[in-house]
Amino acid sequence: MTPLVAPEPAFGRAGFAAIAGLLVVWEILGRLELTMFVPSASSVAVAWWGLLTDGTLLRSAGSSFGSLLKGFVPAALLGVALGLAMGRFRTLREVLDGWINALMSAPLSALVPVLIALFGVRDTVVAATVFLFSFFVIVVNTMTGVRGTERSLVEMARSFGAGEAALFARIYLPAALPAILLGLRLGAVQAVKGMVVGEMLISLVGMGERLIYYGNTFLIPELYAVIVSVLLIALLSSTLVQSAERALVKWK
Amino acid sequence: MSATLGIAIERLSKSFGAVQALADIEIQVKAGEFLALIGPSGCGKTTLLKCVAGLLPADAGRIVIGSRPVSGPGGREASLVFQDFALLPWATARENAEFGLLLRGAPAAERTEAARRALAKVGLAGSFEQAYPAQLSGGMQQRVGLARALAVNPQVLLMDEPFASIDEQTRRILQDDLLRLWSEERKTVVLVTHSMEEAIYLSDRVVVLSPRPGRVHRVLDVPLPRPRETLDVRASGEFARLVDELWQILKKMQ
Repeated sequence: MTPLVAPEPAFGRAGFAAIAGLLVVWEILGRLELTMFVPSASSVAVAWWGLLTDGTLLRSAGSSFGSLLKGFVPAALLGVALGLAMGRFRTLREVLDGWINALMSAPLSALVPVLIALFGVRDTVVAATVFLFSFFVIVVNTMTGVRGTERSLVEMARSFGAGEAALFARIYLPAALPAILLGLRLGAVQAVKGMVVGEMLISLVGMGERLIYYGNTFLIPELYAVIVSVLLIALLSSTLVQSAERALVKWK
Repeated sequence: MSATLGIAIERLSKSFGAVQALADIEIQVKAGEFLALIGPSGCGKTTLLKCVAGLLPADAGRIVIGSRPVSGPGGREASLVFQDFALLPWATARENAEFGLLLRGAPAAERTEAARRALAKVGLAGSFEQAYPAQLSGGMQQRVGLARALAVNPQVLLMDEPFASIDEQTRRILQDDLLRLWSEERKTVVLVTHSMEEAIYLSDRVVVLSPRPGRVHRVLDVPLPRPRETLDVRASGEFARLVDELWQILKKMQ
C-alpha cells in the first residue's frame, strides 16, 4: 500500500556490541602507532572533550545548525508543497519530473561554486547547499506518496461531496504522510551532507571549516573528533524526524 | 425519516474513449426495492453503479433518484459501499463511520452520535470503535464501511461487490445481517455482484447485463418469500431453481 517502507534501525544490543567492538579495534590500531592518521580512540575522545570545553565545537556546531535550519526548513516546506502538487496534477508532473529526477541524481557539489558566485563567500552558500541537497528527495517521496493513494478512498470521499480542498486535507495528505516523513528523514540526512560540503568548500564557518583546518594543520585527533561530531549530528537529525514519524503515524 | 426513493435510469450510455461501456440502459428501481446487477466481467455493472453515484458522468440519458436528476457526486440521497471497503487506514472505526458526516459539515457531537448508532446497527458497538482498520478482519472492516454509508442516513444504498473479498462463512453472516437491516430500514438497494447465489438470495429482481457494450439483457424476478434470513431459503428447491435459471441465462451469453 505505502510505496516506500522505512527500514527500522536495529539499534538494540547487537548495535551497541558492534560499536563497542569497533572502538576496541580502533583503540588497538591506534596504540600500535602505525601512522599518525590513525590516532587511538581515546586520544580522539580527549581531543573531542578539549574542543567541547574550549567552546570550539559548540561555536562551529551552532553555525552549522543555523545553516542546516535555514536550508532544511524551506526545503521541507517547498518540497512537500511541490511534491503534493506534482502528485496531484499530471501536467505539472510531466513538465517537472525529468528535471527533478536529473537533479536528484546529479553531483550537486558541482553547483556550489555557482552558489558562491551568486551569494559570495558567506554562510548563505551553506544554507543554499543544504536546500539543494535535501529538496529533491523530499519532492520525489511526497509525490510518490500522493500517487500511491488508493483510488477507492478518493472515490469514497467524492461520493460524500468532498471538493478539491477536502480531498487534499482529508485524503491525499494523510495517505502520503508516511512517504512524506520518509522523504523528510532522507532529506535530513542529505541536508547534513550538504551542510558539510558547503562549509568545506567555502571554508569559512561551521564544522566543515574545522574539518579543513584540522586536516591542513595535521591535528588528526581533532579532525576525527569533528568527524564523529558530524556523524552524531546526522544521526540526531534523522532520529528527530523518526520520532515525529512515530508520533504522527500511529496506525501502522 | 424521509420516504424511501426509487431510481429511474433512462436511456443511459457511457463510453471510455472508443470503448462503449454502457448502451441504452433502462432500469426502474422501485422505492424500497432490493435490486441486483449481475453480468460477465466487462459488462459495465460497476460503471453503471458509479454513474448512479454521480462519480462518472453519463454521455447520454439520465438518472433520477427520487425527483432529483444525478448531476455529480455528493448527492445526499445515496451512499456507496465499496468492494475494498475504502476505509481510511489512519482513522479508527468510529472516525471512519463519521467520515461522510464530517465531509458534509455535521457538528462533532452529531457525528459521534450517528456513527455510534450506525456501528451498533452493524454489530460493532463498544470497544471496536477505537480499532484501526488494520486491526479488524475483512468482515468487520466491511461492517465499518456499511456503518459509514448508513451514518449519513441515505435513502439509497449502492453496493459494489461488497462481500466479494470476504470469506464464504463471514459472507453468509453479512448477507443475513444486510437483509435484516434492509427489512428494518426499507432503503432502496442496488447491489453489484458476480455471485449468482448472492443475487438470488438477497434481491427482489436481478438485472442481467450483457458485455461490451453493457445492455440490459434480461430481468429476472425473485419471488422467494421473506424474511429469507430466517426461512432457510438457501435450502429450498425454488432457490436452487432460480440460481440455475440465472446460470442458464449467463451461460448462453459466454
